[in-house]
Amino acid sequence: MDFILTQLSGFGGALWALIIDPLTYIYLIVSVFLGITFGALPGLTATLAVTILTGFFGNKVPLDYSLIALLGAYVGAIYGGSYPSILLNIPGTAASAATAMDGYPLAKAGRGGEALGLTTTGSFIGTLIGTLALLVFVWVLLLLSENIASPEKALLALFGILLSGTLMSEDLVVKGWIAGLIGLAMAMVGLDPLLSEPRYTFGWSYMLSGFQVVPVLMGAFAVPQIIEGLRHMDAGKITELKGRILPNLRAVRRYLPTITRSGVIGTGVGALPGVGEDVAGWVSYGVGKSVSKEGHKFGKGSLEGLLSSETANNACIGGALIPLLVLGIPGSPPAAALLGAFKINNIIPGPTIDPDIILRVVAIMVLASFTMFFMGLFTAKVFIKILAIPRTVFLPVVMVLTTIGSFSVGGGINDLYLMLGVGFVAYFMNLLKFPIAPLVIGVILGGLFDETFRRSLLISGGDVMVFFSRPVAGVLLVLNISLVLSQLPFAKRAFARLRGKTA
Amino acid sequence: MNDPAIEESPLKTTPTDEDIAILRARDFWASLLLIGLSVFFLWRTLDIPLFGGNRAGVSGASWYNSAAIVPLGIFTALQLLSLVLLRIAIKAGGAKTALSAMGIGWDRTEAVRFTTIGIILFFYIAGLVPRVDFIASSGLLITALIFGFHGGRVARMALCAAVVAVCGVYAFVAHLSQAEWGAHDDDVVTLIAWAGLILWVLICARGDRVLRVVPVIAVLTPVILVCAMAFGFRQNVPNRGGVVFSQIEYHYYVTLRPIWRE
Repeated sequence: MDFILTQLSGFGGALWALIIDPLTYIYLIVSVFLGITFGALPGLTATLAVTILTGFFGNKVPLDYSLIALLGAYVGAIYGGSYPSILLNIPGTAASAATAMDGYPLAKAGRGGEALGLTTTGSFIGTLIGTLALLVFVWVLLLLSENIASPEKALLALFGILLSGTLMSEDLVVKGWIAGLIGLAMAMVGLDPLLSEPRYTFGWSYMLSGFQVVPVLMGAFAVPQIIEGLRHMDAGKITELKGRILPNLRAVRRYLPTITRSGVIGTGVGALPGVGEDVAGWVSYGVGKSVSKEGHKFGKGSLEGLLSSETANNACIGGALIPLLVLGIPGSPPAAALLGAFKINNIIPGPTIDPDIILRVVAIMVLASFTMFFMGLFTAKVFIKILAIPRTVFLPVVMVLTTIGSFSVGGGINDLYLMLGVGFVAYFMNLLKFPIAPLVIGVILGGLFDETFRRSLLISGGDVMVFFSRPVAGVLLVLNISLVLSQLPFAKRAFARLRGKTA
Repeated sequence: MNDPAIEESPLKTTPTDEDIAILRARDFWASLLLIGLSVFFLWRTLDIPLFGGNRAGVSGASWYNSAAIVPLGIFTALQLLSLVLLRIAIKAGGAKTALSAMGIGWDRTEAVRFTTIGIILFFYIAGLVPRVDFIASSGLLITALIFGFHGGRVARMALCAAVVAVCGVYAFVAHLSQAEWGAHDDDVVTLIAWAGLILWVLICARGDRVLRVVPVIAVLTPVILVCAMAFGFRQNVPNRGGVVFSQIEYHYYVTLRPIWRE
């Protein structure tokens, strides 16, 4: 009980400090607006929003404002993706792909206003559910993290990369793992963390400090989007918005069980290392379809279907922050960008993180979700107008934003060369259906994996049993091996046979 | 994820047999490239002492603490997975179709589009940004990308790529070394090329609302961004001594700032 009271009073203090600071509102309104705009414009993503804002706010304003800007943009962008999904049948972000399944038929049936209102409410409640989980579980995990030493960290980092590679791959799973390995390989460049041995620097002094996170993120997420999006396309016909956006309280109450269930699923998926909001949306949609009474209406304009995906993708944000803050392992690609922002502020997320930062993150998430809610309800028409802007107009502007943001983070011109190189590689990887998220997770976690893996062996004098003998490490090792084995053809055939028998 | 509703989704499209055949032909080449790269980096990893190297008379660490151990694992795993990918590609017929343009899904229009964008981005980052005024180079980039790719016309793409390439090559050749990056003649060349391109855009803009706003976007975006970064966030910006930005900076500190300071 004391623990809960301490937590609540700490959270209350952090929230109050933000509420009484007028600058908080300026940062919140601007960042949530920018986030919704990024989410609403097809071709721009939540990860890109957080990455670009990292270039501008990452280390140029005090940490609190930097976090407000980045978290505000994150929350706004995931929600903003629902606008084009509902009104254009084009998902603004991958996270809202499932939203279009029911959102567009609803808009076509003249219920666009109702759909947007409920989406806004679902996203708002979903964000709050994720934030509540963040407040509770982050402390539970922090208490447990006393048992997490180098072997566990190495295996967790590996698990994050493998899981991200497995779940984010559109084509073959092996491509996701290869992408993760390329990311890990990129993280090996520079002085090694234990002996300061130079690796793969090819005599270039810039490479001694390794690949910087922000230019890699900008290159991986912005450049391919720009190259891919710069093609002549009609902006699409925006379905006329009919009906009021303000949600009907009775409808909200009716769908509260769906919202709650989707919020919990979204948070859970978000807490898995390296798995993003798009997976959360689809998983929740799939579960909703199988458990809902109106499951047969999913895909034909069901409000439950709409809420299943939209609530889950926003709830995923809070979930994704749990492994980020406790273990330094991002729960989603935008969280990876947030980790970049933490790093350039010299904050190392993990068991040693300052607890005040966690409380401030929770308080910011609460304020950002309220800002998103009110903006969604009262300024929706502004965002609908933004949908009409062609990609060929805003993407060149994004390129300039990316360039100046990447340049100013610290490495100067060399960072721009790195960004462009990574960008071209990422474009070809997209073309070949290699997922980019595992690559980024690999770059971010590569250093941690290298250091903790070797430190484990160093402490044990080269005895690999260190990865088996500790209970948590043993469980993680089994998880890693099971994940790999489950993707092998014989295991898949066995699963299929098993499913056939149970059916 | 195997829910039928998801498979039916128009957004998560199920690839056709033809798409998969093209993908496997591309996978064939990708796996060969990855095998080559992993062999190269495995060879480079051998430069890192593995079994207790001796540097300047100081004994290195044991094998388990060597800086080479993790990269060795990564590149070995990469090679194995690339071989798996190669096997999948060959089994799916990727090797047979890999040498034909149709097999790898060659699309001339798409190749032209990518090449022109690649040229524009390469010369912007490698040639213009380090050497030319940021406002002029970014204005040129925005104009070239919107005008070149808005209508999807190949001639416009080629023209825009050529304009940016000429400016980039001039800046690159005339001022290759960093010591010369402050020179202004490349700024002037870029400004003239930008003005010429804008003029051409306006001539072509009849009846096209988007093209009419290009000059406004191309001028305002870099000016606002660079001023916000330099004077708002007080950060370094590319090519501070550029012909346009140096004037803005001078008037900001000498003309404007004293007004509100007093």
